[in-house]
Amino acid sequence: MSILERFLSNYKPLIAVPVIITLIALALIASHGITENIDLKGGSNAVIQLEKPISSSDLQNTIAKGINNNQVDVTSIANNQATIQISGATNVSAFVNSISGTGTLLSFQSVGPLLSSQALSQVYYALAFAFLFMSITVFIVFRNIVPSVAVILAALSDIIIALGGMSLFGIPLGVASVGALLMLIGYSVDTDILLTTRVLKRREGTINERATNAMKTGFTMAAAAIGSMVTLYLVVIIFIPYAQTLSLIASVLIIGLTADILATWLMNLGILRWYMEDRR
Amino acid sequence: MRQDIINFIKDYRVIILIVFLVVSVASISISGITEGLDLKGGSSIQIELQQPVNTTTMDTVVNVLNKRLDVFGVKDVQVRPSGNQSVIVEVAGVQPQDVANLVGTPGKFDATIGNQTVLLGSDIVTVQAYTVEGNTWSVPFTITTAAADSFAQAANGKSGQPVNMYLDNNLVSSPQLDPGLANGVPSTDVEVSGTAASAAAAQTQAKNIQTILQSGSLPVQVSIEGVSSVSAQLGNEFANGALIAGLAALIVISAVILFRYRTPILVIPIIFTSLSELVLILGVASIIHWNIDLSAIAGIIAAIGTGVDDQIIITDEVLKGNREFNISKPIQKSRRSKRADKKKGKTDNKKVKVSRRITGFRLRIRSAFFIIYASAATLIAAMLPIAYVGYSTGSGLGVLVGFAFTTIVGVLIGIFITRPVYAKFVELLVGTN
Repeated sequence: MSILERFLSNYKPLIAVPVIITLIALALIASHGITENIDLKGGSNAVIQLEKPISSSDLQNTIAKGINNNQVDVTSIANNQATIQISGATNVSAFVNSISGTGTLLSFQSVGPLLSSQALSQVYYALAFAFLFMSITVFIVFRNIVPSVAVILAALSDIIIALGGMSLFGIPLGVASVGALLMLIGYSVDTDILLTTRVLKRREGTINERATNAMKTGFTMAAAAIGSMVTLYLVVIIFIPYAQTLSLIASVLIIGLTADILATWLMNLGILRWYMEDRR
Repeated sequence: MRQDIINFIKDYRVIILIVFLVVSVASISISGITEGLDLKGGSSIQIELQQPVNTTTMDTVVNVLNKRLDVFGVKDVQVRPSGNQSVIVEVAGVQPQDVANLVGTPGKFDATIGNQTVLLGSDIVTVQAYTVEGNTWSVPFTITTAAADSFAQAANGKSGQPVNMYLDNNLVSSPQLDPGLANGVPSTDVEVSGTAASAAAAQTQAKNIQTILQSGSLPVQVSIEGVSSVSAQLGNEFANGALIAGLAALIVISAVILFRYRTPILVIPIIFTSLSELVLILGVASIIHWNIDLSAIAGIIAAIGTGVDDQIIITDEVLKGNREFNISKPIQKSRRSKRADKKKGKTDNKKVKVSRRITGFRLRIRSAFFIIYASAATLIAAMLPIAYVGYSTGSGLGVLVGFAFTTIVGVLIGIFITRPVYAKFVELLVGTN
């Protein structure tokens, strides 16, 4: 028996693999928590172009004194550009005054407490409704409870594993990563719908043959998607490290799409086969 | 072969795509693409009002802010209400601190002598240009005759006492009452003046005060809730970086396709379809004046990404159809298990009867498009809540509206315009081979 055949005939215990990873992810989220970006917790971010070399502690002191706030953190200095994080909303004029003579402002972002709490509740609503609408659409497409639930469970497991990965790697939850999670819902359901349509609705070949064919297509899709996200991530990290929006989206999608391979081909396919064999 | 190509070009889907491409390119080259603030450089400042206000008050707030920025000389400004309690001010190419000082304050002016209020911002008729001498600045202005009368009465006999002038309850100037003003004779010419640490600071302060006095005060207390600002230099780097990333991603996708199908000619339509989708999305953005910002770029990536997925699905369906057609001519069922054979014998026999190969492709493509429409529907369903949140509040996740909208537009363009053409092309390719 080839590995593929062995894998296809032992599908039931394999369902446990993504389930266990999802549970580990849940445990990680519960114990570690997920850091929040300033979009959601409030605070300020700045990138400045330095006019002269300065050590990060000097820069930190200069700014802290200038804006009268001790919670200043210089997160990186590279290529004469420094990234600074400040807890709490910061007056932009005071900030600019504090760096006068040291550097000029390249970008500045500040989020007050009202805005961040608004955004935080919107994040939950947006994700919950996105998931709900996606589930309804899946039900309408398949009009069949078990296969639809299998698709939805796979998507749920993708999101939870992506969140677990964010917790593990310290990727902050913010507006950008929410965008990535929504993209993930879209992408992950793609392969699930492909699988379900091919295996459930087609009649030619055995279930195994149909599953193998679907898997070939699915793996190509995953390779293209993960490949382009890795490229996006690398390009952003190398050329435009300050375009955090894009690198965050890419890293969340890399984790989520990798999780999706397991969720689709171990869990969704497993449940589907179980259901079809049961039905016979 | 030639006839096939001619038929391909004459297909209505191909013609539609070409027309849309031409329109998009024309629109992009004529009216251009509006870049968002994070790509062209600029600041967006969100101002929170102390309490929710009705539309009339909101209009006043927007007008006053517009006037301030206009007086200050800021071009390319957009002031728009967001809900009934906040206002978003967007300016291109200006440092955030300049704008923040202007729009983040109510601009309530009053002057007192002793405990008596003698002048209010509403008494001001016109404001003259400020002057700066050394570190001292002054802003002369004219008040109504009624205000001049009451000022004269209040000031009568109080020569030498300070006139405290406040802007938003901060003392900005406290000149001593000139004997000429304390004699009960009304004068409509007043000035507010002060000294600053440097000539440049005096200049800034004078310009600010002149602007605020001239544009009047806001009807409510305001505070700055959020600032988001990107310099033109960084914005430019973002735009270039995104372009490099997009091209690199296309190369990687091509490599995956090449590795999987070993058919170099397949890479061309996939790149062509992806680029067409990009051009059409930008074309739509250009026609409806939709801002392309970083989050819209993320949306373009999402749309093109699902496009590549869809093209892989189409390719596999068509190739599989072709393979089945080829093996269905000889004894077709040798490779299938007996159980499946018994069960599906009927349908398979029917399929064999489909003699014209092209009909088989059509069937295949139709089933591919079932998957494609279904995944597009789920992606759009997932994006709808964000689009709604953004339109209803404009703040917080509002940034993602651009993302959700661009994704939805891109996916619709893909499933109705570009991907059908791709399917047609693969059909042609496999059909002629």
